[in-house]
Amino acid sequence: MAKVLIPTPLRQYAGKQDSVELSGATVGEVLTALTAQYQDLRAQLYNDAGKLRSFVNVYLNDEDIRYLEKDATPVKDGDIVSIVPSIAGGRPVMTEPAAAGLSPALSKDEVLRYSRHLIMPEVGMEGQLKLKAAKVLLVGAGGLGAPLGLYLAAAGVGRIGIVDFDVVDFTNLQRQVIHGTSDVGRKKLDSAADRMIEINPHIAIDKHEVALSSDNALDILKDYDIVVDGTDNFPTRYLVNDACVLLGKPNVYGSIFRFEGQATVFAYQGGPCYRCLYPEPPPPGLVPSCAEGGVLGILPGTIGLIQATETVKLILGIGQPLVGRLLLYDALAMRFRELKLRKNPECPVCGEHPTVTKLIDYQQFCGIPNQPAAAEATFEGDIDPVEVKAKIDRHDPFVLIDVREPFEYKIGNIPYARLIPLGELPKRLSELNPDAEIVAHCKSGMRSAKAVALLKQAGFRKVRNMKGGILAWSDKVDPSVPKY
Amino acid sequence: MIRIQPDAWREMVAHALATYPHECCGAMLGSVDDARKTVRIALPLENASEGERERHYELRPADLLRADKEARDRNLDLVGIYHSHPDCDAYFSVTDLKNSCPWYSFVVLSIRKGAFDHANSWLPDAEQTKAEREELTY
Repeated sequence: MAKVLIPTPLRQYAGKQDSVELSGATVGEVLTALTAQYQDLRAQLYNDAGKLRSFVNVYLNDEDIRYLEKDATPVKDGDIVSIVPSIAGGRPVMTEPAAAGLSPALSKDEVLRYSRHLIMPEVGMEGQLKLKAAKVLLVGAGGLGAPLGLYLAAAGVGRIGIVDFDVVDFTNLQRQVIHGTSDVGRKKLDSAADRMIEINPHIAIDKHEVALSSDNALDILKDYDIVVDGTDNFPTRYLVNDACVLLGKPNVYGSIFRFEGQATVFAYQGGPCYRCLYPEPPPPGLVPSCAEGGVLGILPGTIGLIQATETVKLILGIGQPLVGRLLLYDALAMRFRELKLRKNPECPVCGEHPTVTKLIDYQQFCGIPNQPAAAEATFEGDIDPVEVKAKIDRHDPFVLIDVREPFEYKIGNIPYARLIPLGELPKRLSELNPDAEIVAHCKSGMRSAKAVALLKQAGFRKVRNMKGGILAWSDKVDPSVPKY
Repeated sequence: MIRIQPDAWREMVAHALATYPHECCGAMLGSVDDARKTVRIALPLENASEGERERHYELRPADLLRADKEARDRNLDLVGIYHSHPDCDAYFSVTDLKNSCPWYSFVVLSIRKGAFDHANSWLPDAEQTKAEREELTY
């Protein structure tokens, strides 16, 4: 026999007893016996679908049965089963419907459009109005921003802001499905907004054509309920995180690399933030970007849609948000894993004694010197692709080395060049004559600059870097060489 | 309606002021006579939220079990839960509602700039969709 303790307010449904002795081999059987004996109690503990109400926790002695074997947890003689409500609360983090100026109703067109939402009790009219009142900011209209923009627009999120200052190019189309071939050369903001309005004309879109920075981030983010991070670089990721923590906005995070992705919700209702997970950025250059390492085109679709799902759940206030859990996705193994994330009490931005109380210089924080982008970087002794072509045509005695990887060489190459991947260069120095004039090139000029530095260190004197790499070669010398 | 006796009320306000600017939370023990509740003892409990306690509170189920036992031992009932809203009105927020249960009265104390401002008591429904205001005297 097990003893079930009845909380005060429920005793009226249990013959005014404060405890009931029942038999059963498992907790489930004991509860079934209890509600069979006291049928009015059933409606208090279970919902119409026959599931325990969300606020009802069942304890066996002092353990929550969710962490034992749930309903199947075995019960011994003399065990005590307690019914304990879960209680929490606090001031709202998100704009409450009443404060958000809800439109009183949906139009006839909108009712039709959202009918598959409206017939689900978890969404219903109330939920759809919450979506309509919601204001979500997408940071980036690229790989992650594309599925996010499409589905959040379709779902009826009333106001969607997009921060992006980039232009659509051909290399985007493999994954950024919000843009089409005819959009190449257009601003991503315009291309994305047109597509979203085409999907759903009942929503409003704010275009923020800026690079998010410490100067403008708080001002842009403050008007939104939820921020969705679809950025591809560390300085912006820390910037978005810190701004969200400072403003008390949830940060729906996603990141992708090659075949793997991550997603979680940061800074929501006391949960951990990005800095709790990664207090320090990796050294610059250690983690390659998608432009350097590549990305499976479908991957941002999967991760972006997980972000979109979490965003909609936060707005509706349903389900278990992905808070305190880092979801890891491996497309090759087709496996999801989950890591538990804890809030770090020492966290410099969301901990108990924060030291970061305003936005900082994130470029500097991530160890990135303020220099122009790779393609325009000028290194000492740079040589223009046009001049390299002239040297080849003049039959000048010089060696052109291509320090890219073999698979890049296959995409397109300069026939005159010799392939020595950067990683192999140190042990293949003997193949090169230290007195010869050497020009190195790669895709855009970054890796070949490293090669030049390495050769100079090894005693090579006449070494130069071909400015802008094979991309510039394609632009200025031979357009038949494909860009990638 | 719910009536909080002076000693219990002083305890609750003192607790809310002591934890300011964090939210406090605790249990209210007393008796129920039809729909009239009388709170005789306030039992301060720890805010177990791991997050921003300025805007969030969480009751440990073990503490709630202890409060229930305490009530049984004193021949009283656990009749409600109280918590504070620092620098915020004493309304029942969506967060409060979504983490509530319909079995108890929920008293919210508004503390502004470190001083007691006002309080309300709420009765949430079982579906966690709305909360009714309950007449409160103290």
